[in-house]
Amino acid sequence: MVHHHHYHEYMQQKMRRNTSNQQQQNKRHKFFINDNIDILREILKRLDGPSLGVASCVCRLWCNLTNNDDSIWEHLCFRHVLTPPPATVRPVVVALGGYKRLYMVCVRPVLSRLSESERVMKRVWTRHEVQLSLSLFCIDSYERLAGGGGMIASDASPSSLMFLCNPINV
Amino acid sequence: MEIEIDSVSSPSKVKEIDGLLADVGYKVKSSELHQVAQNIERLENVIVNSSSSDISQFASDTIHYDPSDIGNWVDNLLSEFDHTNSLPYDFSQLSDLAQDQHQHHHHHHQNHQLKVVTTVEEDSAIKLIHMLMTCADSLQRGNIQLAGSLIEGMQGLLTNMNTNSGIGKVAGYFIDALNRRIFGQNNIIHIENDVLYHHYYEACPYLKFAHFTANQAILEAFNGHDCVHVIDFNLMHGLQWPALIQALALRPGGPPFLRLTGIGPPSHDDRDNLREIGLRLAELARSVNVRFAFRGVAAWRLEDVKPWMLQVSSKEAVAVNSIMQLHRLLGSEPDPNNPSAIETVLGWIRSLNPKIMTVVEQEANHNEDGFMDRFTEALHYYSTVFDSLEACPVEPDKAMAEIYLQREICNVVCCEGPARVERHEPLIKWRERLGKTGFRPLHLGSNAFKQASMLLTLFSAEGYCVEENQGSLTLGWHSRPLIAASAWQAVPETLRFDH
Repeated sequence: MVHHHHYHEYMQQKMRRNTSNQQQQNKRHKFFINDNIDILREILKRLDGPSLGVASCVCRLWCNLTNNDDSIWEHLCFRHVLTPPPATVRPVVVALGGYKRLYMVCVRPVLSRLSESERVMKRVWTRHEVQLSLSLFCIDSYERLAGGGGMIASDASPSSLMFLCNPINV
Repeated sequence: MEIEIDSVSSPSKVKEIDGLLADVGYKVKSSELHQVAQNIERLENVIVNSSSSDISQFASDTIHYDPSDIGNWVDNLLSEFDHTNSLPYDFSQLSDLAQDQHQHHHHHHQNHQLKVVTTVEEDSAIKLIHMLMTCADSLQRGNIQLAGSLIEGMQGLLTNMNTNSGIGKVAGYFIDALNRRIFGQNNIIHIENDVLYHHYYEACPYLKFAHFTANQAILEAFNGHDCVHVIDFNLMHGLQWPALIQALALRPGGPPFLRLTGIGPPSHDDRDNLREIGLRLAELARSVNVRFAFRGVAAWRLEDVKPWMLQVSSKEAVAVNSIMQLHRLLGSEPDPNNPSAIETVLGWIRSLNPKIMTVVEQEANHNEDGFMDRFTEALHYYSTVFDSLEACPVEPDKAMAEIYLQREICNVVCCEGPARVERHEPLIKWRERLGKTGFRPLHLGSNAFKQASMLLTLFSAEGYCVEENQGSLTLGWHSRPLIAASAWQAVPETLRFDH
């Protein structure tokens, strides 16, 4: 009985608070991030790879954005480069499979392998590393073209970049 | 049976004489243990293999050697037998091959502890190499019977050894090759060469290094040209060209019009492999907006290709790309009336006036006339290559790459005359040859070196090394260069002094 009374009072207090909050809110603009996709996109662009992965699990909208909006991944691919790559790079990357694939297949393993070998987390990428990643990406894209051709015996997926996924031998 | 002897080698505690053996009455210096063990092994072999007359003569001598000084005792006995058993080669060098395999297991040498572990495995390895060399030697001398019996002996040895890695595996391939040379077996594995080549590309960095280095040189040579033509002496699956197409697409000033002429063997069945590859490359080029044209030239041998087939126009900048193809031309019969195949081909390359010729070749000397020299060289070279393959965990690439290499080994060991196409020569010989036929070297530059180093860092195995060699680059395994990439330009006719 006592609990019930306390509970009832508690709920009444909460509802009073809510109404006053809502009244306060009605005086301001309601801001839901999901209503402001441009801002959301700008925020997502500045995340690193793992965080972006986590973000894609938040809700359907975020998942769609991270999966389909390649510009987010473009920022991720080149965030460590001193000078931004020339405008000609984008159509090439898009033609070869998109920035998300570039990140997953080339940039991420290359970055992690290079930082492992130098024992220091590299903050800055040189244009050589960018070029190498793009070249490897192009080979990957070409090998996927081969998938349907049957030229390469039983290989279903391009294996040219498999060496990037191997752990380092000690 | 394992004999493990520990000795601490810090200066204040050097024990010259090994403690364990001293306890049982033998005086041996710790530093000499390995040598003595080897000699005892040799002595055992000699006693077992020598005729009874030799032994009885020896047994009747009344000179007594002090067996407690076992090192000298064994040496003396061996010298008694040595006049009947003189093997002409310094096997102590070759035992490196056996011991190299064990170096990997002894990597954790810390704290001045020196462990000398003599195992049955290592002794078998040394024995195996001795037998391989003796077999090759008897083949060269024409003693087929001895060679045949040695092969049986080696096959027996192999059954007790680890043939999945190290010397056991490489020796297996060489024993097989020797067997084929003598008895001419024909159980060839029927896998297309281009498939094997692709797996070799995946399994180790040699071909990637070749492609990336050549592409960098070609890219730099094509600077400022709007019409460019690449002639690839061995198209295979065209894996070299996507990266060049992409680099040309992104070059400042926009991509040129790229023509690619791919040379390759004619296809069996109804397929046109060259054309299929060309179509695939064309699709890639189209997707990145590079104007592209492809032409396939089907020829069994490079010397059958004539320059008119390549349809080179005078307005275009030409690059000739030869990845491990030039050495195949070295086997033609010397004919005083006609120039040799290599001279003919190099001649028409010059006539095309290429902006650059990229040459990648195995860094090995497998073109000696003497069988023994060739065999020894090949054993060293392929041991190193297989060693580097051990680091590759990706299957089935590794297994297929081994078959690819096995074909090379068989060609070097079994074939003679025009059939032997794997006539590898080292960079120093190519420099001489190309210099004499009117080519001058182009330096590959720091971009190529940086790219090659970066490529290697991406490979999981540590042990590969890129070195610069007078403007050319070599890629090797543990300081043994295995493949060399160089770039060349034709010297204009007016500057040449023919002799």
